[in-house]
Amino acid sequence: MTANLTDSKVERQVGMVLDLNKCLNCQTCTIACKKLWNQDAGTDYTYWNNVETLPGTGYPKHWQDLGGRDGKGQVKPGTVPNLDTQYGRAWNFNHKQVFGREDGKKGLKVWLRPEGKSRPKWGANWDEDHGTGSYPEDNHYFYMPRLCNHCTHPACLAACPRGSIEKRSEDGIVVVNQDRCHGYRFCVEACPYKKVYFDTQRQVAAKCIFCFPRVEEGEPPACARQCPGRLRFVGFVDDREGPIWKLVHKWKVAIPLHPQYGLSPNVFYVPPMSPRKLDAQGRPTAEPRIAISYLESLFGKDVHRALATVEAEREKKKHGKPSELMDLLIAYDWNENFRIPTRSPIDERSTNGHS
Amino acid sequence: MATHELIAAPVGLQPGAYVKVAYAGRDQAATPAADLDLQKAGQGYRIALQWACPDPVKSIEGNTDVWVDAAAVLAPAAPGAPWITMGAENLPVVGALWRADREDLYRIDAEGLGSVRREAAPEGWRATSKYERGFWTVVFELDAWPSLRKQKMIALAVWRGDAQDRGGLKSVSQGWINVEV
Repeated sequence: MTANLTDSKVERQVGMVLDLNKCLNCQTCTIACKKLWNQDAGTDYTYWNNVETLPGTGYPKHWQDLGGRDGKGQVKPGTVPNLDTQYGRAWNFNHKQVFGREDGKKGLKVWLRPEGKSRPKWGANWDEDHGTGSYPEDNHYFYMPRLCNHCTHPACLAACPRGSIEKRSEDGIVVVNQDRCHGYRFCVEACPYKKVYFDTQRQVAAKCIFCFPRVEEGEPPACARQCPGRLRFVGFVDDREGPIWKLVHKWKVAIPLHPQYGLSPNVFYVPPMSPRKLDAQGRPTAEPRIAISYLESLFGKDVHRALATVEAEREKKKHGKPSELMDLLIAYDWNENFRIPTRSPIDERSTNGHS
Repeated sequence: MATHELIAAPVGLQPGAYVKVAYAGRDQAATPAADLDLQKAGQGYRIALQWACPDPVKSIEGNTDVWVDAAAVLAPAAPGAPWITMGAENLPVVGALWRADREDLYRIDAEGLGSVRREAAPEGWRATSKYERGFWTVVFELDAWPSLRKQKMIALAVWRGDAQDRGGLKSVSQGWINVEV
């Protein structure tokens, strides 16, 4: 049977919004994801969810320059990142030395550090908190959590000659059928976000599955559920009572990363506001530290409107006026960040009066 | 041994939206020729394939951007099965796939582009390989291959890892090769 390679039609699409004004770079999302899905030898270098410091090199290194799609949404030859120089190999640490010394003295004089003869030269999050600018005038950085965007038109799906990548009709989650995958890695090349990985042991593609077993039970993905900053919202994009529709379509403050790739991501970001630059006398200027041109390079022109709306609503809230948007973003009750109907037959029975 | 010129499998035929665009212009075979020697061996066949490979890739383990050397022999499992698309619906092809990083062969079945199924080869299918002085030599020893016996045609494919060959990016024979068996 010839592979089906056309865009899949989905009944519904699940989505996520991340408010970048609240991200602390604690990496709890990264660890929640990694512990759940990626501890095997072949995936030890992969982070389906990572948090990178911007402006910065990102993960994999300079991923925005590695091709897949150009600025007009057209296919642009991509590259598969190198494990040593772009992803960074997973480090092994001297845990035994620090925590398991035979003399019982644990970690008193031995620091936790990567094992090996040579010092690592690159790794995920290598440039954490570096940012850019000069202190105190305009130094700045912000944090960007990234995961698969579960695009409406996934480049990875279109790239696979075997039809090994599927977009689930019930929720639009993009998954790799690893039984079918032959490890060609065209999907890795083609994804301009570089969010498809290669399991170096099993020799198949691997990527974020939006924790679909959790979503099917009405639970948000682990990265969202574990976020202490309450910055993630999860729900169906067309649910008018849900946070995604409100933030993306009603208030239009959540926008996709690199919309110019033309893939229609279903992960959206509330762009970061920033303090003002200082002048030579140390007085605040009218100019934000994060250049709007930089944010535009990430989120497109819609970033102007999104920032203006958030700022206006924040001012309303500061002056004691009600703001649905700010109440939503503040996340007084984090349960309201997630609105995912369960598809568990057990829960459906309960709802119908069967116990 | 007879030398057979190989061509690059046409990129324009490749399924999906990416390969045909990203690799447009890749029209030179990374492996321009291969030597083939096919002998009857009992009820089966001994098929020796040799090709030049200046920079062999014998393993990709622990790497993300390395592709392994490989080769395949293919026969139509039905009269009229096209070779360039690896068969078509209801016109299957069947063959044996050797990879430099595996001792055991795969049996491959296909009915068109993107449809290849790999599975462990039957017990009586084996291959030995050696890399020497810039050449790979792979000897397929197949105790039975009914499709070849019936159709008397074979096709070749070679993947050169250092040229990033994989999937449809490969060097192939210019058509079915008629064989006397």
